[in-house]
Amino acid sequence: MKSEMRVRMLIAVAALTTSVLTSYAASQTSANTLASPESFGAINAPEARSAAMFTELGKVLTHPRCVNCHPAGDRPHQANEGRLHQPPVERGADGRGLPAMRCSICHQNANFDPGRVPGHPDWHLAPREMAWEGKAVGEICAQIKDPARNGGRKPEDLIHHIGEDTLVGWAWAPGYGRSPAPGTQKEAGALVEAWVKSGAICPVN
Amino acid sequence: MTTLAITINGRAYGPTEVRDDLTMNDFLREYLGMTGTKFGCGAAQCLSCAVIVDRPDGTSYTSPTCIVPAASFDGKAIRTVEGHARNGELSDLQKAFIDHFAFQCGYCTAGFLNEGQVLLERLAKTPVARAKLETTIAEALDGHICRCTGYIKYHEAVRDVILADPKRYLV
Repeated sequence: MKSEMRVRMLIAVAALTTSVLTSYAASQTSANTLASPESFGAINAPEARSAAMFTELGKVLTHPRCVNCHPAGDRPHQANEGRLHQPPVERGADGRGLPAMRCSICHQNANFDPGRVPGHPDWHLAPREMAWEGKAVGEICAQIKDPARNGGRKPEDLIHHIGEDTLVGWAWAPGYGRSPAPGTQKEAGALVEAWVKSGAICPVN
Repeated sequence: MTTLAITINGRAYGPTEVRDDLTMNDFLREYLGMTGTKFGCGAAQCLSCAVIVDRPDGTSYTSPTCIVPAASFDGKAIRTVEGHARNGELSDLQKAFIDHFAFQCGYCTAGFLNEGQVLLERLAKTPVARAKLETTIAEALDGHICRCTGYIKYHEAVRDVILADPKRYLV
């Protein structure tokens, strides 16, 4: 009984420490920038350091540029305030719109600023199981590590997906009137890589 | 600048150089003088600017033109409101719109007409049950905004054309 209590206390202390350090590290950067993996070197505990790096990455993952197309429902969101997409489009069977209203009808190969329309050759919604809308960073972390909810990816695959995928990269060049995701895609990729190599520990929500 | 070659209502236009920031709506209205396609909200939310795009496989869909670059239509075949009548004879749907007094100011009519025409052609290929007709029409016209609130009259006009030839459109 005593040992069980001791374990619980240790877990509680570890969680609190992680949370405090994560908050500390995240507070070192503004909302528009990303801290480098090296800047987390002051956190001695490897697990806490890993979790703190994901918390920093969470600034990207919870940004409207990402969440708008990782919606909880079947309709994408848009703009910095994350309002429901107008016209009222839906994901459709393949995440690329309904037969009569495909994403590509309006979303061309590149941003079209005169029409205020963002674009990319592969424009589509993230699958329903990859919904991030309304979730805390820790929940997104657990989800992003789960092959059943991340498109069958290993953690290592996320380095390429977040760090190099050009559709993800659109988030840093979103066109007129849209705030880019914090930092750069390269910096986000570096954080993912460091997070994966440090054990891919999820922060406490 | 981008080269644009397009077929509109069966007639080839171009190749011609267009600015990359030119919208299809401006190309139709300002370059070709085809003002039947309207400019409404400018955000693809009212669809008064919608035109028909014909795929090579014989199917069609509507596309807004106000937010879409003209260059993206390169190589495509489209139809506008100017292309519905044949030899001065209005199409069945155009006649039905008039019979139902479907439009007042008429600003949204081209979009509704194009959407209704796409629906008719789709039903001619894949008919629906009579019981699903009302929903099918409503879903097809959904998204088109009429400031004069003529929705039910457009709906009834489309329905009348379909019911006038049930063997063609219904199962």
